[in-house]
Amino acid sequence: MDVLLKWKISRAIITAVYLIVGWILFTGTFSLFSIFLGIIFSFFIATLTYSIFIEKQEVARRDLIPRVYFIFIYLVILICKIYIASFKMVPAVIVGNINPRIVHFRTRLSSKFARVILANSITLTPGTLTLDLDEDHLVVHWLDAKTTHSHYAGRLIKGHFESWLKRIWV
Amino acid sequence: MILVVYIFFGMGIFFGILGNVGVLKFPDIYTRLQASSKCAVTSLISILLACMFLKGLSPMTGKILVITVFFLVSSPVASHIIARGAWERGTTPWRRKKSQ
Repeated sequence: MDVLLKWKISRAIITAVYLIVGWILFTGTFSLFSIFLGIIFSFFIATLTYSIFIEKQEVARRDLIPRVYFIFIYLVILICKIYIASFKMVPAVIVGNINPRIVHFRTRLSSKFARVILANSITLTPGTLTLDLDEDHLVVHWLDAKTTHSHYAGRLIKGHFESWLKRIWV
Repeated sequence: MILVVYIFFGMGIFFGILGNVGVLKFPDIYTRLQASSKCAVTSLISILLACMFLKGLSPMTGKILVITVFFLVSSPVASHIIARGAWERGTTPWRRKKSQ
C-alpha cells in the first residue's frame, strides 16, 4: 500500500476517534443506537475534513495522541494557578497600583498545538495577556512586571506550564 | 458540602464585581482587557465548580466539565484577538511614571 494513502487513512481514523469521544461526552448516554449513529457520522465527517484537522506534515505521534492522564493534572494545576493569580490581582484592582510592561520571550515547545495551549494558559492566568505568537516567540503584556529581562520573565510567566505541556505533547 | 458550594458561588460574585471595577478604573485597553477577561474567567470557573459540587457525581457533571473546557479554550482566544488587534494597530501601552 502507498505510504501517503496509509497516512490519509490513519489521519481520518484519528479524527474520527476524537469526534466519537466528543459525541459520547455530549450525549452522555451509552445506548447502542446513539453510539452506532455517532460512529457512522464521525467517520463520515472525518473522511471529509481530516485534511483540515491534521496537516500532512504533522507526523510526530505524540503530536496527535496526547497522554490523557497528564491533561487532567494540567487542568488542576491551571485552575490552582488561576485562583492564586486572581487573589494576587485583588489589591492591584482596588488600589490601582500597577506597573504594566511588554515582555518578549521564547518557548522550547516544538508542537504547534502545545504552543497554542501555552499561549492560552498564559492568557487565562490573570495578570498576563498574550499579544502575539510567532513560531516560538511570544509577546506578553504583564500587568505587574517584576523584570523586563527576557529569560527571567519567561521563567516567571511560563512557570510549570511548559514542563507539564512537554510531558503531554513534547 | 453545601458550604463549599456557597463559598464558590460567593467567589464567583466577588470576582465578577472586581472585574467590572477594574474595567472602570484602569487606564488603557490592555489593562482593561486584563481586568475584564481574567476576572470573568475566575468568576465563571468558580460558578461552574460550584455547580459541579452541587450535582455530585452524575452525567450532568461530565457535561459541565466539557463546558468548562470549551470555555477555557474559547475565552482567551476572544481576549487575545482584541489585544492583538490593538497591538497590530500600534497602540502604545500605558506605563507608570517614573516619579511614582
